[in-house]
Parts: sequence; C-alpha cells; structure tokens
Amino acid sequence: MLDVNKITRVEMDWSGPERLQMNMGPQHPSAHGVFRAILGLQGETVVDVDAVIGYLHRCHEKLSETLTYAQYPSIASKTDYVAAMTSEFAYVLAAEEIGKFEVPKRAQYLRVIVAELQRIASHLLWLGTWCMDMGGALGGGATIFLYCIREREDVLDLFESLVGARLLYGFFQVGGTRYDIPDGWAEQCRKTIDRINSRVDEYEQMLEDNAFFLARTQGIGVVSRELAQDVGIAGPLLRGSGVNFDLRKNVPYSSYQDFDFKVPVETAGDCYARYKVRMAEFRQAISIVRQGLDKLPSGPISSRPALKSVAQIRIPKGEAYARVEGPRGEVGSYIVSDGSAKPYRMKWRGASFSNLAILPHIIPGHKVADVVAIMGSVDPVFGEVDR
Amino acid sequence: MDSRAAASADLNVRPYDQNSVGARVQPRPSNGTEITTIIGAVLRAMGATFKNLFRKPITVHYPDKQRQYPSRYRGLLALTYDKETGEENCIGCRLCEYVCPPAVIKVEMLKAEKRNYAKTFSLELYACEFCELCVQVCPTDAIVMMKSFDMPTADRREMLLDKDRLHVIGLEYEQSWATGNRLRDMQTPPKAPAPAHAKPAAAPAATPAATPEATGV
Amino acid sequence: MSQTLVALPPIVTALISGFIVLNVVIGMVTYVTLLERKFAARMQSRIGPYRVGPHGLLQPIADALKLMMKEDIVPTAADRPVYNLAPIVFLIPCMLIFGSLPFAPGLGVADVNIGILFFLAVSSMEIVGLFMAGWGSNNKYALFSAMRAVNQIISYDLPFIFSALVPVLLAGSLKMSDIAAAQQGSLLKWFIFYPVIGQLAFVMFTVATLAAENRVPFDILEAESELVAGFRVEYSGMKFALIQLGEYAHMIGSSFLGALLFLGAWSGPGPEYLGPLWFLLKAMFVFLLVTWIRWSFVRIRVDQILMLSWKALLPATLMLLIGTAVVVVWRTGGF
Repeated sequence: MLDVNKITRVEMDWSGPERLQMNMGPQHPSAHGVFRAILGLQGETVVDVDAVIGYLHRCHEKLSETLTYAQYPSIASKTDYVAAMTSEFAYVLAAEEIGKFEVPKRAQYLRVIVAELQRIASHLLWLGTWCMDMGGALGGGATIFLYCIREREDVLDLFESLVGARLLYGFFQVGGTRYDIPDGWAEQCRKTIDRINSRVDEYEQMLEDNAFFLARTQGIGVVSRELAQDVGIAGPLLRGSGVNFDLRKNVPYSSYQDFDFKVPVETAGDCYARYKVRMAEFRQAISIVRQGLDKLPSGPISSRPALKSVAQIRIPKGEAYARVEGPRGEVGSYIVSDGSAKPYRMKWRGASFSNLAILPHIIPGHKVADVVAIMGSVDPVFGEVDR
Repeated sequence: MDSRAAASADLNVRPYDQNSVGARVQPRPSNGTEITTIIGAVLRAMGATFKNLFRKPITVHYPDKQRQYPSRYRGLLALTYDKETGEENCIGCRLCEYVCPPAVIKVEMLKAEKRNYAKTFSLELYACEFCELCVQVCPTDAIVMMKSFDMPTADRREMLLDKDRLHVIGLEYEQSWATGNRLRDMQTPPKAPAPAHAKPAAAPAATPAATPEATGV
Repeated sequence: MSQTLVALPPIVTALISGFIVLNVVIGMVTYVTLLERKFAARMQSRIGPYRVGPHGLLQPIADALKLMMKEDIVPTAADRPVYNLAPIVFLIPCMLIFGSLPFAPGLGVADVNIGILFFLAVSSMEIVGLFMAGWGSNNKYALFSAMRAVNQIISYDLPFIFSALVPVLLAGSLKMSDIAAAQQGSLLKWFIFYPVIGQLAFVMFTVATLAAENRVPFDILEAESELVAGFRVEYSGMKFALIQLGEYAHMIGSSFLGALLFLGAWSGPGPEYLGPLWFLLKAMFVFLLVTWIRWSFVRIRVDQILMLSWKALLPATLMLLIGTAVVVVWRTGGF
C-alpha cells in the first residue's frame, strides 16, 4: 500500500549548491532504445552521469551455444538491429576463420556491397533520429526524420528484392552468402543510390549553415584524441577525434583492399565533427557500392554445399576473433569452437557498448539539452549494448 | 535530505569535482556577416520544406491499395500441394523442425507404403522469425513463404497454424520465388561445367559454365 | 437586428457576443489543429489525417471525444489545488484576448481604446497557469519545463511588446480598430509594406511570437525529446484538452493580432461584409507561416534562446521602436 507521507517531494533549496537527480529513464523519446541515464543536475548543467543498461538483455551469447552455425546468423542480426548485415558479418567471419573456409570472390563482393548499403541505411536512420532528438517529434526534427526514413525505405526495398526481408536478413552463411542478386537488381541499386546521393546533398544543405543546428552541435561533446584512444571507442566517434583508424583499411577483410575509398577523419572531436564524418561516409559508401556493382565477378556465392540440414556445418576445434567495421564502430565476434556443430562459447563485442563508456567523460559540464545531442551523435543501438 | 543521501549512496553517484568537467562549450565567434548567413540559411531550410509541400506524398493507402511486393518476399508460411498429382508435398521428414531457430514447427510423421506424410504439422506464427531456413532445407519444396503478411487477428491463438490452415494459406495467396530447391541451387557451388539449367531469378553473371573463383578471405 | 441589439442593456450584448466569440474560437481551435497536421504532413511527404471523415475532417471531433472520455489521473503526491486550477488559470487569459479583437469595424466583443495594451498584458498572464501546472505536478520534468518557461516567456515578452508597438506608433493609437482603419484603402497602406520598418517589425514580431508560443525553434518547454511534454506531462483527459485549447487559442489570437497589426485586418477586395473573411484568411496565413517555420528547424538550447533574446532581439526591437518614432515625427513634419 503506497504511503503518501513517504513519497519524496521535490525540494528546491536555493541557499547552497543543490543537486537535482533526474532520471532520463528507460522510457524516453530520445533514449535511442532502453537506456537509463541518472543525471545529477545543478540548475540546468549536468554534473554527473550514471548509465544503467541491461534493459534489452536477451542472452544472445548463451543462445548461440544452443544454436548451430547454420541457425545463428539469422539471430545475429538482432544484436545491432539497425545495421543487421554487419552484425551477421562478424559472426560468419569468425566461424570461417576457425574452419579456414575460403569464401568465393563473388560472395566477398556481395558482402561488401550489402555491408555498405547497410551503412547508408544505418546512417540515414542516425541522421533522422538525431535531428528528431534535437528538434522534437513535433517540429523541424521530425521533418528531417521523415525525409531520411523515406530514403531508408528505398534501401530497404533493395534488400527486400534481394533477400525478402527488410530489417533482419539472414543473408550471411558460413562459406558465403545465402542469396544471389536477382535480375534487374543492379540497375535498381544504381538508381537508388544516385537518388540518395542527391537527397543527402539536399539534407546537408538544409543543415549545414543552419545557425540553429550549428549552435546545437559545435563545441558540444568534445572528445579529445587521447580520451578516445584511452576509452577504446571506435567508428565515427574515433574518427571524429582525429584518429585515422578504420578496420576496412587497416585490417582489411573480405576484399575491401580491392576497393578505392577514403576514410574521413575530422579533428575537432565535437558533435559537428562526428556529423561531418558520417556524412562523408555516406559518399564513400555510395562510391564503394558503385565499384562493387561494376566489378562484381561471376562465380558461386558459397564455397560450401547448400544448407540441407541443421548440423551440416561443423567447424574444427579452435578459436578466433573476427572484427568488422560497422556503422557504429568495431563489431567483433569471438568464437570458441569444440569441433561440434554448435560453438562452445561466443562473445560479442558490441560497438555501442564500448562507445557508451565515453559518456561519463564528456557529458558533465553540458546542459540537459546537450545530453540528447551527444547521445544522438554517439549513436548507440541497445541491441548491441545489452545483447 | 536523508532520503536523498540514501538514494545517492545506493546508486554510487560520484560527487561533482570542479576540476573534472569534461568539456567547456565554446561560444561561436561572431562577425558582421553572420546575420546574412543566418538569414540565408533560414530561407534555404524553409525553401527545402516548401519544395516538399508540392511533391506527391509517398503514402500507400494500405489496405485499400497494396504495395508491389518483390518476388522473393518472405511473408506468411504455407504448405503446398504437388502441381501435377495434387498430393501433399510434405513427407514429414522434420528437417524444418530441427533447423528452426526459435523451434516453432512441430511435425509428426505418418508412415505409409509409397511415401511418408505429415500426420500433424503445427507452426506457431506468433513466434516465427521469418528467417526462411525451413524453406531452405525442405527437400520436397513443401513449405514455402507467401507474398503477403496479412493476418490481422485479435487473438494470438489464431496464429497457431495447423496443417489445414497452412494448406489454405498456400492456396489463398501468391507464392514467393524461394523454394527449397531453388535456394539450394543458388547456393551450391557448381561441381563442373554443367549444361545450363533453369535458374529463373539467378543473377545474370552467375552462369553455370563459369569456373568458381574461390580465393581466401 | 442592430436596433434590437441597441435596445438591450450593454451587459447582455456583451454576454451574447462573448458567448458567440468563445464558441467560434473553440471550434476554430479544433479545426486549426487539423490544418496544422495536414500542412505539416504535406511538407513531410505524407498525408496526415485521412480516414476519419472525408480527408480527415472529422478527426478533431474524434480527438475531442476521446479526450473527454479519458480517465482523469491525478498523481498522488501532486499539489491538488494548484494542479487542478492550473489548466483553468492557463486557459482564461488565452480566451480573454479574443475579447479585445475587433473582427470587423464595429464587430467585436469589446473594442477598448487601450486594446493593444490589454491584449499584450493579458496574454502574458498565461505564464502563471503554466508555472502552476509545472509546480503542481510534482514531477521533475514538469518543474524543469516550468522553470524554462518562466525564463523564456519573460525574456520574449519585451521584444513582443516592442515589435507590436511599432504599428501602434505608425497608426498613432492603441485602439485596435484605429490601427486597422489606418491600413484600409489600398494594399500599400498595410504596415508590413511600410518601407524597411514594416518588414523588420513583422519579422521581429514573428520571432517573438514563436518564442512566446513555445513553438519550435523555441519550444524547449515541451521539447518532447528531452522533457516529454514538459509542464503538461502529468495531465490527461479533459485537463489536457483545456491546456491544448489554451495553447492553440493563444496561437490563433497572436495570428489575429499579427494580421491586424501588419496585414491590414479586414481590408481586402470586394464588398464590406467580406471583411471578416479576409481577416480570417490573413490570420491563417500568419499561422501557417509560423507552422512552416516550426516544421523546418531544430530547436536551440535554453541559454542560446535567452542569449538571442537579451543580446539580439531586445536591443533590435528597441532600436526599431526609437527609429519608428523618429520616422513618424519626421513624416508628420514635427522637426
């Protein structure tokens, strides 16, 4: 029975430095998922951040011990559900590394094309939700959100023609990919990315010299180079702080070395720099997709026989860690196999999990409104964080 | 005061250290031409939304009009009949039951003289992931997915599909392209240069006579 | 008709016209929400309300019915008298401003000779209701929003007043019908077309209205992504409806004021009885302008809003007002 007398009332004491503890709780329009940030506030300034995660924990790592290598890639999409292709990619690469399976060239190129399309789709969602956080669900932010979603729908239509599903694919398979591109897909893909290219130009123009946008993002959430390297973040967070590290260039996997692209790096370290990095990544991803479609070799899409039964893929004993450059950073999968059809242990390195560690370092000192902008530019997806 | 201190102690919130402020907000330098830049930017942003006012909305008036679904769409699941003989395709081999990641399929085999059947086949559509693995492994192309997802219901129990219901769905909607044999043909690396066999929706570049170019990861 | 009205005591005429105006305003508020939703939807490549009634025309009625049927939840630890009174205290000034607006020459509830002053003073009183709502909810988000509201609305009332005083200076009277009468005759007599001063004053009036209305880019009060509806967060059902009503009524009232001050009120081609129609169309134009701005921009932070007001807008409006005074005196040969 609720005791009314024991309920805390908000007491404002103006005689000294008072601290208000406000909960940006798991249910929040801009928490990017289920995330609880306990903010300690002094007036409007945040002085303390305590992050509570785990609201989306679904025991992926334990689940992978009960599912075979044939079944789990469909489930792996659910960790980073916004960029499902790169999540599956890491798992499948790790399994192939232990078993020393070769992947045909065509499959590698298809994987690259699909991963870069996924990067475009994920960054579109990032841009939309970030602007919506800053502009309100009933305001200018929602306008940009709907435009970005409109573009993202086109990319998802491409995936739908390729795979049949829009969000969680099951495209990857140990040894190659599960689907090959149908007739007419290449032309549809080229048309779509041309249109996205021009629309992204339009959005950049809408935001670039917008004084409101610049005022909200420049100088906010500055991550210094040393801090970035100490905390262990990855992805656009790292490249926005001046560290030139991209797994696709430094540790190339799946024929990325055949593609010609630049890695955008900005030195300012604030939200605006990360925004510019991601906008440049749009252009690079579009260029990679074009190159991939032009140079797509012919051949089989898998080096192993087609999946006929659940325990078909057996991997010898061993362990390996495979990493891919997801839109959010380094997604890694560490598999320990014991020779059977199921892994003995699998560990996910979630990109957003490591990126969230930066929050207590950069948020204190900002206002409440900046917390939202910073969270948006860190771009966490809580499927990856909580797994 | 006491309740607040107690709450802080529970949550292990660190006290604010004046010297450890993470970042200071840098004010933007202002110059005279800023006004014109601001006004220009404001008008450009408003122009972008104004331009959109006259574009046709992209809304599809579902359910009056349906979107055009691609041929590989993964929709509802269904069991099929053989086109020539009219017999059920399912032989009750239970491969789909074993491969299903969330284990939503339950099959019982019925042995008969010439071939086996499925005595019962239940599929819990409310838990199905639509991953298409069951379609992938089916040796007789019995279970397929449809190009529609329409199953609005007010009771979740209606989504526990039994064998009859699955057959009805198979007759009601349009089947997608993917059946077990087609998917496996698409994925199997060719053993030797083989004569061209019909692959309806395979990529134009993956000709059957092409030699596999398998290089390392 | 007018003879019978003249025969009645003035209090009865005032009550009747007040009642009519109140009902018309409430009806207009509900349909203005539909207009905003359709307009915003078209700017976002979608359609907006479509199914309820032909093209969504019955949507506001459905919303009103829904709000009337909702449970009225009062938080246990809320400060009950304050909490319950807040929507009413918020609504009253927002409705009262319509009492001083003349919709046509001679058609209005009370065309007082300090009309503008009355309008501006009463419309600033909504801050009391707002703060009561934020305080009485016993909710940190609501309190935050109330604090920000006090900051913002107080800061922007001054530029609002100063920019509204520019047409007063140009017309030479605080009475609303005089200001409107000074713009009759031709299109170029509208104050918005007054060289330089008119346009600047209109722009500043629009910015100040945006801020006084809590519209994006100044809507840190509601800021759905941070404060989740701000001071309204604990209200449900009819109380929420009253707060929404007050907000939109204030919005429309300011649009009418803008149309009256700058766009010539009831001047327009055609016979005299079309005057109120032109007034309505101009008010809707101002409203759509504000809506267009609202759906195009992200919001700015509270300290930036305050900086904009005190460091930029207030000096600018003050300069503009002094400049207007100089120009008016010069024009009438006072030098």
